[in-house]
Amino acid sequence: MSSRRGSRLVFSWIWIALGLVYFFLPLLATFLFSLRAKKGVLSFLAYQHVFADPKFLQTFGFSFEMAILTVIIGLALIVPTAIWIYLKLPRVKPVIEFFTLLPFVIPPIILAFGLIRTYSRPPFAFVSSPLLLVAGYVIISFPYIYKSVDAGLRAMDLRGLTEAAQSLGAGWPTLLFMVIIPNLKTALLSALFLTFAIVIGELTLAVLLAWPAFGPYMALMGRNLAYEPAALAILSFGLTWGAIGLIQAITRGRPGGGSNLGGTH
Amino acid sequence: MTAQPEASGSAAPERLRAVQARNAPGPRDAIAKRAPRKWSLAWLGLVPFFLFAFAFMLLPTVSIVTGSFQDGQGAFTLVNFAHLFRADILGSYLITIKVSATTALLGGLLGFLIAYAITLGGLPKPFRSFMSTFSGVASNFAGVPLAFAFISTLGRVGFVTVLLRTLFGIDLYGAGFNLYSFWGLSLTYTYFQIPLMVLIITPAIDGMKKEWREAAENLGASALQYWLRVGVPVLLPALLAAFILLFGNAFGAYATAYALTGGLINLVPILIGAQIRGNVLHDSQLGYALAFGMVIVMTLSILAYSWFQKLSSRWVK
Amino acid sequence: MKKFAVLAAIVLLAGVGVFAQSTSTTDMNALIAAAKAEGQLTVIALPHDWVNYGEMIQKFSAKYGITINELNPDGSSAEEIEAIKANENNKGPQAPDVIDVGLKFGPEAVAAGLLSPYKVQTWDSIPKDVKDKDGYWYGDYYGALAFEVNSDIVKNVPRTWSDLLKPEYKGKFALSGDPRISAQAYMTVIAASLANGGSLDNVQPGLQYFAKMNKIGNLVPLIAVTGTLASGETPITIEWDYNALANKDKLNGNPNIQVIVPPTGVVAGIYIQGISAYAPHPNAARLWEEYLYSDEGQLIWLKGYGHPIRFNDLANRGVVPADLAAKLPPSSAYANVVFPTLDQQTVLAQAIANGWDKIVGANIQAK
Repeated sequence: MSSRRGSRLVFSWIWIALGLVYFFLPLLATFLFSLRAKKGVLSFLAYQHVFADPKFLQTFGFSFEMAILTVIIGLALIVPTAIWIYLKLPRVKPVIEFFTLLPFVIPPIILAFGLIRTYSRPPFAFVSSPLLLVAGYVIISFPYIYKSVDAGLRAMDLRGLTEAAQSLGAGWPTLLFMVIIPNLKTALLSALFLTFAIVIGELTLAVLLAWPAFGPYMALMGRNLAYEPAALAILSFGLTWGAIGLIQAITRGRPGGGSNLGGTH
Repeated sequence: MTAQPEASGSAAPERLRAVQARNAPGPRDAIAKRAPRKWSLAWLGLVPFFLFAFAFMLLPTVSIVTGSFQDGQGAFTLVNFAHLFRADILGSYLITIKVSATTALLGGLLGFLIAYAITLGGLPKPFRSFMSTFSGVASNFAGVPLAFAFISTLGRVGFVTVLLRTLFGIDLYGAGFNLYSFWGLSLTYTYFQIPLMVLIITPAIDGMKKEWREAAENLGASALQYWLRVGVPVLLPALLAAFILLFGNAFGAYATAYALTGGLINLVPILIGAQIRGNVLHDSQLGYALAFGMVIVMTLSILAYSWFQKLSSRWVK
Repeated sequence: MKKFAVLAAIVLLAGVGVFAQSTSTTDMNALIAAAKAEGQLTVIALPHDWVNYGEMIQKFSAKYGITINELNPDGSSAEEIEAIKANENNKGPQAPDVIDVGLKFGPEAVAAGLLSPYKVQTWDSIPKDVKDKDGYWYGDYYGALAFEVNSDIVKNVPRTWSDLLKPEYKGKFALSGDPRISAQAYMTVIAASLANGGSLDNVQPGLQYFAKMNKIGNLVPLIAVTGTLASGETPITIEWDYNALANKDKLNGNPNIQVIVPPTGVVAGIYIQGISAYAPHPNAARLWEEYLYSDEGQLIWLKGYGHPIRFNDLANRGVVPADLAAKLPPSSAYANVVFPTLDQQTVLAQAIANGWDKIVGANIQAK
């Protein structure tokens, strides 16, 4: 038994090591290139240039806000819907899946122009509201949020838990918040991370709807500059990672949050 | 298989019966009075989702994509769709599907192995939260920064290429490796496919109880037998779901491909970009038709996937 | 709606009539006042380092106190046109007022009713064949295609088109765009064609040239950007001279860049200005055009290494500062410059788009 566990461990270490090498080499290469801003010397000049620009943090902050809003609205929309489908209308599942996968094949430029065209006329003239941008972001995140939640629901015995809770007299709110959601913690976190990263880096919608977001800022800096884009790529990677790590740390404190991260239950 | 917590003895018998009646297929008459109300109520629960999808996805898209049925002057025509069957455009769909399927499989397999390693693999706990957060970020590290990162690593004067040459005398490009090729592109796409897989499949692996593995081992099963008989069947629905997600993810991506291969690999999204934002061809109607074609491919993929799901659920039983 | 259109037409015609004749300052004052009342101008696809638009925007804004809202700096000409179309009913900040697009897009935009005509005060000094006779669009600047070489990595700098085919440049050249998409890239193919026996009606020699370059391994199938130019992945590329020179300044020796206009196969491309028919700030738009075509504006473009369209007029009047003139490549380099016309560009670009895969196509097969 212990040799089995032992070989499993070796196996795991090998794959993690390979994975880490694969993921970090490109980052390392980018980082090394970003240090070449001053000729012949390794320096952080490119980073200084980036930080000297107030727009860097401004745009990151804006995108951060948009990301939070997107996550809230997206989860609020999809989690109940997914649960509902599971419990009440399993036959409709393929249809919902179809709609959540559609955003993959709608080119963002078409979505953006479509949103502008549709919502620039009264009485629906919200083209200049940031909520329209958030709505667009929610659409783009559909596939990721839905699949994460779906995977989580699949892994838990939803029907059994629901019946048990209901037969104990739980109403829908109790069921949702005290039974289902705590069991979905991992999946919800996955959805959150994915959505967050998408919104922070999103480019087309923000550009065409004319918002000072981080994606357009990165693209602008990347135009015709050599070292600063590399510095920016590293910084944005680091900042997004930090933000996500922060969120995870916060949610770990909540009941039911930490226990799922350690292993199976 | 389902560890159903027994309803406590205090559950009223009628309640249990009602639960059973709801689930058992049986004559509709017994619950006929409740059925219509239940049905309409159930559909009501989907309204928010559909309303949102309609308002912010379907309506805007349709308003633009009706252009695929029009020619330059606005008259109705199907000629744009006829163009979809041109050899070069069909070839384009084919290679896009190839890249998407390849990276979905590659990313799926490698992602699964990594997800397994961090959940059931016995690694120290911090690895899991580290990989989860890292995967969150890496899953969206795409487009120009990713292409540039790979160019800096494995390009002709890339960091690894040069290292291999100076330290080990290995000439990557001399040996036939080329980052600017189908496999180079697939390697690059995998960078965001693996993390996506890790994030999606981890909850599913979590759902696999340790007890099953122990029980299997107690009964003398080898690791392979365990996986074939228990592991894979249980995970199959989730694996299929993850596959279609990874497929879709790669299918719609283009910024990475464009930055890495200069448009030399004719992916459909690049063609669409060429028609809509390109300064040469600029036949936006054809661009919309191409986008419509992508919707059709995606629909077919989802149908195939649903069919596989049904098959696999039968196998599980 | 119809009455308004007629009234607007009358006003426009009157305005055009007046501006075409005189430089009476009263009209300018009225325009300035109206523009200031609007308070904002929305521009699109104007990177700051593209013919020094950064300074243009800043100076205009400072001079008239009008804030400039910049959309989509990375946008292509086609995207500018699509943006006008999509924002037809939108008077918000997503709708562009003015556009700066490739020559090809002028007639297309007029046919789709996307532009509103306007003739600036200095209209007459704009050469006749680069403007629409009714004032819908007008050329603003041009540049010639030049080699841009990272001379730290490529010590022996290529000077002619045939140089680029030498074995010493193996794996060193890349185009600055996809010739089926980017104007800079398809013009490069046209230039190669002219240098190799082609003409403005036949671009096959250009395609053959690149097929050969691909076969001998000199062509890297990547889009060259400043990053890859600096890192050495694509140390040789071809761009508009104003872009190449701006890059050289920006990189400031790290690495050193040399910009060379080849002796044969010199192609120039003209960009044109237009005011959107749906512009939310039409007066600010007109004032912007006036500024661009004033001596001051034209010289700002010159500072960005672009040839402003009124260059000859400025030179004849001795208005060009000597130090500015010295920074441009010598005029002898432009002696053989060729300006493909609209129709030629359309035909040639289509031929390139059709032929690129077949003739040059790095056939990317799954290995």
